[in-house]
Amino acid sequence: MSTDQPWSHRYRPESKEDIQGNGEAVDKLEAWLRSWEKGPPKKRAAFIYGPPGIGKTATVQALAAELSFDLMEVNASDSRSKNQIEELIGKTAGQTVNVFGQRRMLLLDEMEGVDGQRDRGGITAIADLIKTTMSPVVLVATTIGENMEEKFRSLLDKAVLIEFQPIPSYEVVERLERIARENGVTVHPEALETLAVKSQGDLRSAINDLEAVARGKTRVEPEDIEWMGERDRQDYTPNIINRIFSARSLWEARQTISQSMIPYEDLFDWIYENLPYIVDDPGERLEALSVLAKADIYQNRARSTDYRLLKYMFNLMTGGVAFTKKVSKGLGLMKQVQQAVLRSGLPLSNFQTSETREGVLVNPVRWLGRDKWGELNGAIRSVGGRWVYGQNVWLVPYLREPQNKWRYITTYNDRRKTREVAAKLAQRTHTSTQEAVTETLPLLRIIYRSGQEAADEIDAWLDLEDKEREFLGS
Amino acid sequence: MSSGMWAEKYRPKTLDEIVNQKEIVSRLKNFVQEKNLPHLLLVGPAGVGKTTSILALARDLYGPGYRNFTLELNASDERGIDVIRDKVKNFARTAAIASPVSFKILIMDEADSLTSAAQHALRRTMEIYTRTCRFCLIGNYSENIIDPIQSRCSIFRYGPLDESDAKGWIMYIAKNEGVEVLDEGLEALYQASGGDLRKATNLLQAAAATRSAIDDVSVYEVLGKVSPERVRAMIQTSLDGNFLEAREILRDLLIVQGLAPDDIIRMTYSELMKHTVISEEWKVKLSDAVGEVDFRLTQGARPEIQLSTLLAHLALAGEKMK
Repeated sequence: MSTDQPWSHRYRPESKEDIQGNGEAVDKLEAWLRSWEKGPPKKRAAFIYGPPGIGKTATVQALAAELSFDLMEVNASDSRSKNQIEELIGKTAGQTVNVFGQRRMLLLDEMEGVDGQRDRGGITAIADLIKTTMSPVVLVATTIGENMEEKFRSLLDKAVLIEFQPIPSYEVVERLERIARENGVTVHPEALETLAVKSQGDLRSAINDLEAVARGKTRVEPEDIEWMGERDRQDYTPNIINRIFSARSLWEARQTISQSMIPYEDLFDWIYENLPYIVDDPGERLEALSVLAKADIYQNRARSTDYRLLKYMFNLMTGGVAFTKKVSKGLGLMKQVQQAVLRSGLPLSNFQTSETREGVLVNPVRWLGRDKWGELNGAIRSVGGRWVYGQNVWLVPYLREPQNKWRYITTYNDRRKTREVAAKLAQRTHTSTQEAVTETLPLLRIIYRSGQEAADEIDAWLDLEDKEREFLGS
Repeated sequence: MSSGMWAEKYRPKTLDEIVNQKEIVSRLKNFVQEKNLPHLLLVGPAGVGKTTSILALARDLYGPGYRNFTLELNASDERGIDVIRDKVKNFARTAAIASPVSFKILIMDEADSLTSAAQHALRRTMEIYTRTCRFCLIGNYSENIIDPIQSRCSIFRYGPLDESDAKGWIMYIAKNEGVEVLDEGLEALYQASGGDLRKATNLLQAAAATRSAIDDVSVYEVLGKVSPERVRAMIQTSLDGNFLEAREILRDLLIVQGLAPDDIIRMTYSELMKHTVISEEWKVKLSDAVGEVDFRLTQGARPEIQLSTLLAHLALAGEKMK
């Protein structure tokens, strides 16, 4: 292995073993790939999404190598027009193995870069490809943004959706430490932690930063990384949020809009997501949310009349929200986590909870058993936490990504099926579709799932299609 | 024919099979005998037999092929003026052919949710096509139907069902389906449905799908799955001061279950107004808050942020009323 390569490249995972973090997602992808051994599964594509630098593409490559697939990659540097895609269809539909007898697999990387104009018909062609392909197709997108759901609509229901999340800082620390050691560098633990936290879960950028400070050295001290300090950190959204809520002047708060690396609409969602945790006094929270709701109105007015009106939105969503915070202590998260644990019916003494710079850690002090673990995992996920593989703790971050967008994407198929089945049900029961959605359908699902006989009856009664059957039964 | 939901399986097919609403049914039978009827407006609470009786009337009048001479529309799905202009007119203007009577029947369910423009269009249509079509409008409240339409219809007011009738119906179905319903289960079904037979029957069927003997616990278990119950849980969670969890329920309703925001508003409003713990003073303040959100959404504001201010209102109300 050449030592000239950048570390972030040199330490790419080569097998499943090497992959850092996102255990659940990796398992899901592996299971799906293995299911191809018995012929094409129901969903012939996997759609992987998540923030940059956390191993989405690397995981696909590592698993392909491990499972002996011949991986064909297409990324944004290639044009993805209709013709291009159709050419690929030829390859994947026709021959499922290459000349060496290896099964083929297709990776369409950097999906967010598919250009609606230039790559005309590309998405439709990909949708067609997925329908007919005899080899696995993996689509990878970096962080699904504003119009992404719209754009990928025709793909999302045909694919297994797999979300990759930022790598928790311990895992980043662990990985950095190992790389440093292999290169004969001793890095002060505090420096490692700073690098990890700064990366916000982007492992690739953390490795790049480590390389920048450590190459050619034997020791790295905390002061060695101070110089990189504010360089890019100021643009990370969690820091923007912190700055908004600690601003002392409107000017200071307002400035964050232009400093933010994400568009103001997304920043709005971040503020909305985190506001109730930070402003936790009931009166102040109402006031802050009301201000934010007013900002939403200005956005709407700006869109329908004149974009000049956006400045009022900006004032309200930054300073307006921040200055409502007077007595709030922002203790919301710890309390919230403890309540979530209690709701699972287990006494708090079974856990240690502690706080780090990133958030609250919940550490089970004894083995819980599978069922209890599942219940608790659900409860902690509901407050934005996640299980950290290998560390055996849950991490609930202080500042979380807007949850609504992710939820919207992952439940898209369910929502569409709900409307479809409800429309049939409404006709059959002489009610409105709305009533079918709110009252009848939830009960119909219970009945449908109670046994084969009941399912068959409903099936015939509503004349269900395959996908609708699957939806009711799941 | 397979049966699916029991509420449909046991829906009375003819007027003779309807045991309740005796006054109304006997008058409807007269219409069948005379082979003529006026425009009808049926009002009353949900699940007491409004739609059932008009469907039964149609079957008695036209025989098994009644579907050829009737059109069922649900105004809550198609509430604008276009539906009147297109579907209703097209159906109403052509005469019934090979039918025992000279007119067809148009059934407009949830007519009280038609916009007032649509109602005015409907009023003209009713007049013009009286010869070829009778209109049967169904709704919960007559006050949402404009006066000119009311004056063109015979109005039938359906009362809530007697407790004994409702319970008798539940037990009749349970017996036919071989389901054991315990006393407390029957009481729970009655309370939870508030005399709405469709709801009671659906709950019974869902409870029977998971348990062999139905008690109150099994009823409340399935009741917890329907949306109005989730809305109630969201309100209670807010009042208890747990805004964050309430917001998760809101998201679940909006995003996962795909409820329309105005349905959430409607359910929230009606829950708040009949809430027994919220003080009268707060009811006024909260209704102002609901109204503001309702208005803003009609202006195109984004639902989740606006609705979550309601939850914050409730959390504050809960705190202040402690």
